Amino acid sequence: MFPRLYLKHLLYSFSVLLLLVATLFLSRSYIEKVVEDPLQTVFISLVIIIVFFSYIIYLLLTYNTRFDLEIWNATKKVALSKEQFKRLYENAPVPYLLLNKNAEIHDPNKAALRFFGVLPEEIDGKNIFSYISGEDRGPAERLFQYYKSGMPINRKEVDMVTKKGDIRSVQLSVFETGLAMIFDITEQKRLDKAKTEFVSLASHQLKSPLATTKWLTEMLTSADFGELSPKQQEYIDKLHDANEDMVDLVNVLLNVSRIEMGSLFVDMKVTNVEELSESVLHELSFLINKKGIRINRKYHGLLKNIRSDPKLLRIVIQNLISNALKYTPEGGTVTITFEEVAGERRIKVSDTGLGIPKSQQDQVFTKLFRADNIRGLVDNQGTGLGLYLVKSVVGVIGGSISFVSEENKGSTFTITL
Amino acid sequence: MANLENKKKVLIIDDNNNLVTVLVDKFNVSGFEAVGAFSGQEGLKKALELHPDIILLDLVMPEMGGLEMLKQLRLDPWGKQAKVMVLSVLDEPTYVANAMDSNVVGYIVKTDFSLDGVVKQIKTILGVS
Repeated sequence: MFPRLYLKHLLYSFSVLLLLVATLFLSRSYIEKVVEDPLQTVFISLVIIIVFFSYIIYLLLTYNTRFDLEIWNATKKVALSKEQFKRLYENAPVPYLLLNKNAEIHDPNKAALRFFGVLPEEIDGKNIFSYISGEDRGPAERLFQYYKSGMPINRKEVDMVTKKGDIRSVQLSVFETGLAMIFDITEQKRLDKAKTEFVSLASHQLKSPLATTKWLTEMLTSADFGELSPKQQEYIDKLHDANEDMVDLVNVLLNVSRIEMGSLFVDMKVTNVEELSESVLHELSFLINKKGIRINRKYHGLLKNIRSDPKLLRIVIQNLISNALKYTPEGGTVTITFEEVAGERRIKVSDTGLGIPKSQQDQVFTKLFRADNIRGLVDNQGTGLGLYLVKSVVGVIGGSISFVSEENKGSTFTITL
Repeated sequence: MANLENKKKVLIIDDNNNLVTVLVDKFNVSGFEAVGAFSGQEGLKKALELHPDIILLDLVMPEMGGLEMLKQLRLDPWGKQAKVMVLSVLDEPTYVANAMDSNVVGYIVKTDFSLDGVVKQIKTILGVS
């Protein structure tokens, strides 16, 4: 195939030649007249030959020059992109290193030198995997073997030690070409730890006095140090209940902050949902009996062995059942149904309660939502965080939640896992 | 009155004075001989001195925390085998797992247990009716 440049040049030359022949053809009468004189014939022929050859020489000369110019331009572009690449490699904020087939480092970029705190000659030729810290050389050795077998290493989380002896948590990637990239996540990990520790500290500081109050009131009511009068007993019981409510509230607040900070720990294991539901009903039996609410269990022997986080799933079930009981008038019914349809597992909690007004149904899962029709209730002690927490937790354990509700008829909340 | 020699000794270590007081009282009226300590250091000293049948240990305490105290205790020939029950308000799985790694007999989340529940738990572990 002709290079584009070459083809262009040929066409160009050809058209000029055509022009020359055409000119000769048109001026043939004049030529016929002058050829009578042999001297003039020689002179004109000479002129034509000179013009023709000068043109050929001109073409040859310009041909080379133009071709060279194109080549020069192309080379310049390549050089420039190579130069740009080199500058990018050198000045990238991420440590890059090149490795030979024995994983020995050459051409580390500036960020890599900064990361390890070394001069180029101090790191040149060292095995990159020797910088992985830890007494146990097993993991580093395994990664080295992995590299030697030609497999890429993709964001492997390891600890690397710098010249000063600092240990940094990094994600190490090594591509087939021998390009290694170190992504420092030490700061990210420190922040994650700080967030978790903050919630733990808050949890400790808030719950410690509540635990003390709980046990002090229990000590008072236990009659170990003498009986209380019925009225005193009643007040202590109220104090105890208020304290328990506070414990629940603190737990909800802590779980909400854990979810919002992304530090909620999920522990998936074999979970018996029937057992969870029963333990929640047992915990709420006082309220169930007090309001004379009928509990309709439709477990169908399902969901006894699913993979989930029992602690988190319990929070979900506890909130849904407790809401159903709270907003169902005396003598009503709460139904708990388990279903398994086409691989989807569903937990449904239905009540014959107050329902949620249509106009507010799109806000149900927002934080601090309180429906208008429950504001006047005597024991309206909700925090407005329950369903927000439920939705967030369901999301964390990989499920979804939906509901249908009609005012004064009841609501059905469905968890799909 | 129960025979003094048969009474099981319980050591309660927590930096919260009120909590130690109520637990010591409760265990005393429930037929135990209970002693309180208000810091990790004091707890360690009393544990090695009294050799209690069981230690109830809080985790978060200033200076010497529960796990640090436990590490020191495990260095002692008697302390290596001592029964320790962790008593904490922290319920994150990581804390529970860390404590269980230190060979403790159990983990009580304070806000989840009634006072009677704690005593019952300890009685079960020590085989006291």
